[in-house]
Amino acid sequence: MCGISGIMHKHAGASGLAPIGEELVRMLDAMKHRGIDSTGITVAGEDSKSDLIVRIWSDPEDDYRARFRAVEESVIAKGGVVKNRQSTDEFLRLNVNYEGDLNALAASLYELPGVTIHSIGQNSEVVKDVGTGLELDDKHGIGTMKGTHGIGHVRLATESRVDITHSHPFWAYPFPDVTVVHNGQLTNYHKMKRQYEDRGHRFQTENDSELIAVYLAEKLAQGAGLEDALFDSLDDLDGSFTYLVSTDQGMGSAKDPLALKPLVLMETDDVVALASEEVALRSVFDEEIERVEPQQNEVMTWLI
Amino acid sequence: MADINARDMTIREINSRVKELVKEGQEVRITDPQARHNLVIGVLQDCKITVDGSVGYLCASLLDGPDVTINGNAGWALGENMMSGRITLTRNAGASVGATLRGGELFVGGDAGARAGISMKGGDLIIRGNSGFLTGYMMQKGRIIICGDVGDAVGDSMYEGEIYVAGNIGSLGSDAKEETPSEDELLRVWETLESFGITERFQFKKVVSAKKLYHFDALERFEKRVV
Repeated sequence: MCGISGIMHKHAGASGLAPIGEELVRMLDAMKHRGIDSTGITVAGEDSKSDLIVRIWSDPEDDYRARFRAVEESVIAKGGVVKNRQSTDEFLRLNVNYEGDLNALAASLYELPGVTIHSIGQNSEVVKDVGTGLELDDKHGIGTMKGTHGIGHVRLATESRVDITHSHPFWAYPFPDVTVVHNGQLTNYHKMKRQYEDRGHRFQTENDSELIAVYLAEKLAQGAGLEDALFDSLDDLDGSFTYLVSTDQGMGSAKDPLALKPLVLMETDDVVALASEEVALRSVFDEEIERVEPQQNEVMTWLI
Repeated sequence: MADINARDMTIREINSRVKELVKEGQEVRITDPQARHNLVIGVLQDCKITVDGSVGYLCASLLDGPDVTINGNAGWALGENMMSGRITLTRNAGASVGATLRGGELFVGGDAGARAGISMKGGDLIIRGNSGFLTGYMMQKGRIIICGDVGDAVGDSMYEGEIYVAGNIGSLGSDAKEETPSEDELLRVWETLESFGITERFQFKKVVSAKKLYHFDALERFEKRVV
């Protein structure tokens, strides 16, 4: 069992950014009974004006400061300029001015030993850690993050290790700004992963949910619309899944053909929020409003 | 009527308080439930309980006797395994509403999600709106009455029992078949609906098991028929 949530302020951006981080913390904390192994969020929508936000994690048992120096050296070697650098323990966030080939930069970081890339994006970033939403807020200050939309996850690990790298959201290496949170299990994960690896894709984890992110990001990069990519996934992915995806274009959800995992949503003219349980939605909407439960094979998208 | 404001209470505290109050013979109203789970569980006597607001998973489950009204939505598995009693939900229910229902009446004022009445073993499940995918999956007894449309695979692998549908049927499930209900059966369905204030005379279709998957008499290789 895991819990997922997503929120979008449809008119944010034009009228200033919305408190996405704070709302995700509230929603995930309301669902902490669905998974206490780890918590993670993507906040999207703050345009970094062609800068890249790079989020890195390194093993705390390791000399992570040396790993971080190696990351910065790699960025500089690829022609990037580090404009801002923040670190909290073994977590590093870089603001990089970079106009080169993103694949080349991502690959140079991927190949560094002892380093995992949590996300690279122009308008979104991933923060994930062990513990609950409130603990994540205490340590990483995610409650202050602003944006137009975001997705979040509380994890009860079933298919792969309990550690920070295997927590959600999963970023689709090396595609910028595509991240996924997933509740369920893919049964054709190994088969599909081998097919992707044969085509040259590389994965950062042994987690089935990472495959969904890469699957969607590849389709989007090939020119598919978000809705089409999500519909295709209903045929190609096997197993149980309800997942949410966040991109620079917006947010989407898809539910497997047997409707095995829960999702409810509430929508007004300004805000749409989705979660595994209504109890999470009620932490955002104080008033009772119409609640919708997407059914099997249902795909929904919201573009910003 | 005794009021319980649920906001600052744990689920265990709320349920214990409900049981104390109904034992004293009081009618109970729970306010501000905030869509939380496992409310009103295991109440085993005749009593009247109202919940003002939406509830989460497995609410009003394991009941034997109470008359429960929920003014709001419910999450997954509302009224699971009720033996007797009456549950009235004013808005939408999540998946698996009335799972393994054994008796009593469960009324959903809005729509129901997937697998409504899964493995029902008795009682009545009434849905005012539409019902989702796999309604009546592996049903064994009882009636499901749907005033709106029903989704795909209705009555999949059902053993016994009846599913009445007033609207469109998405598709029949494995080993389910459609029949025309008798006048008596229709009258009984209308009578049940009237007790929930629905007076429209819907012309229901009836879905039952085709019993083609019945292999109860088939023997294993090492078995011998003794009778």
